[in-house]
Amino acid sequence: MYTFLKKDILVLFRDRTELAVLLAMPFILIAILGFALSGLLSGNSEVLSMDVAIVQEDNEQLGLEQFAEELNGSGIPAEARSRIMAAAQETSPSSILQGILTDESLRELVTAQEMDTAAAAEALEEEEVVAILTIPENFTLNALQKMLMDTGGGAELELMIADHAATQSEVFTDILEEFVWSLNFESAIAQAANGEAPAPEETSVQFGGVESVSAVQPISSFQYYTIGMAVMFALFVGATISGIAFVEKQQFVLNRILLSDQHPFVYLGAKAISAATVTFLQFCILFFFSSLLFGAFDLTNWSFWPGMLLIGFTLAICVGALAAFLTALTMRFNNDSITTVFAGGVVTIFAFLGGSFTPTEGMPDSIQKLGGWTPNGASLNAFLIWLQNLEIVLLWEPLSRVLLLTIVLLILSLLIFPRKGEA
Amino acid sequence: MLETEELKKVFKGKTAVEGASLYLDKGESVGLLGPNGAGKSTTISMISTLLKPTSGDVRLNGKSIIKNPSEMRRILGVVPQEIALYGELTAYENLKFFGRIYGLSGKALEGAIQRSLELVGLAERQKEIVKTYSGGMKRRINIAAAMMHEPEIIIMDEPTVGIDPQSRSHILEMVRQLNHEKGLTVLYTSHYMEEVERLCDRVYIMDHGKIIASGTKEELKSILSSEETVWIELDRPYPAFFKDLQSFKVIKQAVETEKGIKLILPKGSRILGEVFQASERHQVEIINVNVQKPSLEDVFLHLTGRKLRD
Ligand SMILES: Nc1ncnc2c1ncn2[C@@H]1O[C@H](COP(=O)(O)OP(=O)(O)OP(=O)(O)O)[C@@H](O)[C@H]1O
Ligand SMILES: [Mg+2]
Repeated sequence: MYTFLKKDILVLFRDRTELAVLLAMPFILIAILGFALSGLLSGNSEVLSMDVAIVQEDNEQLGLEQFAEELNGSGIPAEARSRIMAAAQETSPSSILQGILTDESLRELVTAQEMDTAAAAEALEEEEVVAILTIPENFTLNALQKMLMDTGGGAELELMIADHAATQSEVFTDILEEFVWSLNFESAIAQAANGEAPAPEETSVQFGGVESVSAVQPISSFQYYTIGMAVMFALFVGATISGIAFVEKQQFVLNRILLSDQHPFVYLGAKAISAATVTFLQFCILFFFSSLLFGAFDLTNWSFWPGMLLIGFTLAICVGALAAFLTALTMRFNNDSITTVFAGGVVTIFAFLGGSFTPTEGMPDSIQKLGGWTPNGASLNAFLIWLQNLEIVLLWEPLSRVLLLTIVLLILSLLIFPRKGEA
Repeated sequence: MLETEELKKVFKGKTAVEGASLYLDKGESVGLLGPNGAGKSTTISMISTLLKPTSGDVRLNGKSIIKNPSEMRRILGVVPQEIALYGELTAYENLKFFGRIYGLSGKALEGAIQRSLELVGLAERQKEIVKTYSGGMKRRINIAAAMMHEPEIIIMDEPTVGIDPQSRSHILEMVRQLNHEKGLTVLYTSHYMEEVERLCDRVYIMDHGKIIASGTKEELKSILSSEETVWIELDRPYPAFFKDLQSFKVIKQAVETEKGIKLILPKGSRILGEVFQASERHQVEIINVNVQKPSLEDVFLHLTGRKLRD
């Protein structure tokens, strides 16, 4: 296997045109698209922009007043009372939530609209909003009691998420978790200032489960197109490797390989491994230089790269299967027009559907669905999820699609490939 | 050690080889002669396990190789008619790869590469990209690649087509040495009668997918022992003159080429007078007339009514 891999890479490396297509072209496109469309993409948090409905049943002012009353009746010394009251005004959960939702960095992402319960439900039904956040009655009071005096059952936010926009609602959930986290953080400080710091989970505003500190990252145009081009040009590797296989057959080198008593499937497997390896190298090179030249990614961020490499690796394996599939077809029909059609047309269509040129979010549903099932589109989605720091579990859906495609392609290749090596 | 029995190959209704039976003894050098499209390469592909025969069998030491090709592949070296090399790689890299797929590695691999390169006389130029080689050099590396695993039988399919005389004579000398000194069994395919005459002990002649004659060179020539060849050299072709000659009852075969006309006729036929009369009638300028003993080429002409090459 290693012998075949080394030879394929050597052959590829000597072929300047192929190398240019696989490595130089994506850079040129990243540069062009990245610069030209940088405007489009900064508004391209549009991709993930969402409307949410806020149902405000809580009255913050009233809550604070009630809290003050209760505090006064509690028998706590006056000096401490005024300190707690000050903390209450400072950390009023409602205000913090308001602050987060209208924050500069989030404004492009989330448009929060206050509605009444009925209107919100209707908006959700009509898919006008992706989530309804209900701030229940006495939220301020209950939260403050729990946070500052450790009495009562705490407060809960109610979140209703639409199933028509999984990614977006996930983003929103993340935002809320950030809120919960910062609230706990604030309350810990407040409690510390108060001289009594109970264990954090006791003061948690109960919401969600995980206290992740994730914040949604906006995506730059260079980031978007580095990924977009990487997944698109990965497909070309499949065509390139099956092209090499066809030349090997044409120039009768394949006969020599068969004469050496290598099983034809070893040859096919070697093609898959070569394509996967080349694709993975291509990813690394593209990511590295795009970070260096265009500042697409932070090269020193160690927690960032494993995810990128994992997704890249998954797609690389899929491209390996794709190369095997194209090789099998080429050998079966003794004709490389399949590869030519693939490289000349199918890749472009896939790239379009998968969102390599322009985000698919604005496109019709059917195209988005189709694109999500192309190996490049699915990996692009996975990359975007990772880039935006969303929940890791969300990666599973696109990655499982890529893996499924890999398996299907491999099975097809084995069925199609002429076993005796003779067409 | 190797024999084929009634080998037959049909490609989509077109019969390429029909009932080819031949054998190779250990250490022998055997020629397979035939014009374009005779079925030589197809026969060789079947012998070398690359092509499944439609019917018939190939046996190595009595055992059929059609179901179990491994043993055959291990001891067989094939020099294909085409240059089967990676044009983008150097000769050294090519040989290294082909050695590796035969399971060679380390010192043994390096040794095999240098041995093969020296055999074909290209050791000094091993680091050059194959694409940049001359036709003759490519042919030589094509042979070297088949020698990497030290085969016991080597099958060469027209290893000298389209190359310069120097490379050609190098290759011929090399094959002769391998056969004589190393005891390699050789099956040599060619259009060139003189190559086969020089290299081979025995010859098979193929035409239209069939073996039409076989035997030692002497046996084959004796087919024509009662005949002789008259070669008439002309300054240019004269179709009318040629037609006239063809109508002579005594002439068995007549072939026209650019430079003249070849006639095969029974020994002792006194025909030259009539030929000269005909030449006067057609105002033909005869440069030279030559009466020859038959060559293998003439045997072929006699058997098929065709020349080996056009
Ligand atoms: N794969 C194939 N499919 C269909 N026909 C074929 C195939 N290979 C060979 N043939 C046909 O079989 C016949 C014999 O071909 P083959 O290559 O064996 O001849 P050859 O004696 O080697 O000729 P040459 O001297 O030109 O190499 C030819 O008519 C050729 O067209
Ligand atoms: Mg041939």
